[in-house]
Amino acid sequence: MYYLTNLTLKKFRNYESQYVEFNRGLNIFVGSNAQGKTNILEAIYYLSVTRSFRTRRDQELTQIGDQLFFLKGVFLKDEFYHVVQISYHRNSPLKILSNNEKVERFLHIQSFPVVVFSPDDLMIIRDSPAIRRRFLNLEISKFKGTYFQNLKEYQRVLLQRNRLLKENRYNSHLNKMLDPWNQALVSVGTKIIHDRIEMVEDLGKKAQFFFNQMYGEKANLTLNYRCSVGCFEQPDETRTKFHGALSEGRRIELKRGSTMYGPHLDDLKIAINGNNTRYYSSQGQKRAAALSLKMAEAMMLKEKTGLNPVILLDDVFSEFDRVRKEYLLLFLKENGGQCFLTSAVAIEDLLKKTEKDYKVMSVEQGRIVSETGGFSC
Amino acid sequence: MVYPGALKKLVDMFCRFPGVGPKTAQRLAFFLLGCPREEVVAIARAMVEAKDRLSFCPVCGSLAEDECPYCSDAGRDHHLLCIVQEPRDVLILERSGQYKGLYHVLHGALSPLDGIGPEELKLEQLVNRIRDTGIEEVIIATNPNVEGDATAGYLAGLLKPLAVMVSRIAFGLPVGGDIEYADDLTLSRALEGRREM
Repeated sequence: MYYLTNLTLKKFRNYESQYVEFNRGLNIFVGSNAQGKTNILEAIYYLSVTRSFRTRRDQELTQIGDQLFFLKGVFLKDEFYHVVQISYHRNSPLKILSNNEKVERFLHIQSFPVVVFSPDDLMIIRDSPAIRRRFLNLEISKFKGTYFQNLKEYQRVLLQRNRLLKENRYNSHLNKMLDPWNQALVSVGTKIIHDRIEMVEDLGKKAQFFFNQMYGEKANLTLNYRCSVGCFEQPDETRTKFHGALSEGRRIELKRGSTMYGPHLDDLKIAINGNNTRYYSSQGQKRAAALSLKMAEAMMLKEKTGLNPVILLDDVFSEFDRVRKEYLLLFLKENGGQCFLTSAVAIEDLLKKTEKDYKVMSVEQGRIVSETGGFSC
Repeated sequence: MVYPGALKKLVDMFCRFPGVGPKTAQRLAFFLLGCPREEVVAIARAMVEAKDRLSFCPVCGSLAEDECPYCSDAGRDHHLLCIVQEPRDVLILERSGQYKGLYHVLHGALSPLDGIGPEELKLEQLVNRIRDTGIEEVIIATNPNVEGDATAGYLAGLLKPLAVMVSRIAFGLPVGGDIEYADDLTLSRALEGRREM
């Protein structure tokens, strides 16, 4: 168990200077649009992961016209306090201090696991397969060290092989030329496919569990890995089928000048009661499906690290009906970790029913103007 | 910044060196300016001499002065051939003192993206060499990356009909190192390439 006890933001987004204490359970930021609710979630995320979930450019996190920001958070983990301080300056490397000692970024990011859900995550459900592949790639990389390197190698092989297919100067002995690239494509590609199948299976079970909590036992959320060479249990079989597909599809590949089989074309099918959520589902269901994926990630992180990850939910309540909102709060409570969420509408009447231990903070123009709630920590 | 013309030219020249940026180039230039004239002449002469006198052996492609130190060495095993990517790889293998056979330098690896195919690597010449000079065993020591592996795979296919023994150099943990410092991919390759004891 670990949680964030307090947070200091200086010159971060629209916060000039703010100190705030948190509850070890549920923390809710309410306020109108564009007041700075999400910015606090962003600061908490940055403190754990040292980057934002909204942008890749840290400069955007400073105040307009400024070049620096400062964040400080005090985590309580296994009965010990960890003071984490991060200073950003445009012209120097990011400085991370943990209990006043300088720490390396890659070591730091494993210390305080965090999972964020933001409205952008709906893209995983709605958008093209590339977004879902990216989601899988990111998730697997978190749990398996070799995956990212295999992926990089695969992309390199793919580039080389596609160039070979596009060129026609080797017409006479193209088969021989393609051979080593096929070997490499199949060898690395099969590893990627099987890592993904394994992840989808685990993620699927956990996402299903969460979805049931929201929509009852009858609703079925299923994840299926859709593989362009077919899904098989044994890597050997995948390899054989992959090789087969490449040799059978050679003519089409040559015509198009690109590789037509492999994990770079695969997809993750997310279905509710057998219907693909991408096409057949309500806004609320889409949101619930995306949220299920994220909660499944939280459960996996918990299994791996033994810590309940801090959960950040940005604007999660919009589009959910009242029953769903209550179920979600109940789940978060039972899950046991610390949770931060933002809402543009007041939700205190909901809380009284399900939660006793919470804190509500209202945010106005980059300041926390009032704090109310159940027990504080 | 206003440089005197000759200094600017020198700095620009150093900038062309691999791994040298404007700052290092400037440092090198000022170092030369501080040297006695004879020393500068000696340095310049060494550069020109190396360029004039060193060439690649027409048979094996290693760096050679007049006569190839490897091909002409009767004390080496002339039935064993090691295929490497770059001339500097030969020097590295030599440093180990372990290898006593002949070399063949490809001067690159298959890379369609860079327009490098079997012709550019003169692979036909290599096959002829192996067939005609009585080589019995070939070790492929191209780099353990995507292009090096593909080159090794292609070579293995080419050499199959020649009935020579072909092996690929092993990948794995650095000796004397600790297993905990190995990166994930190296470790997984080392596991794949484990040996029975």
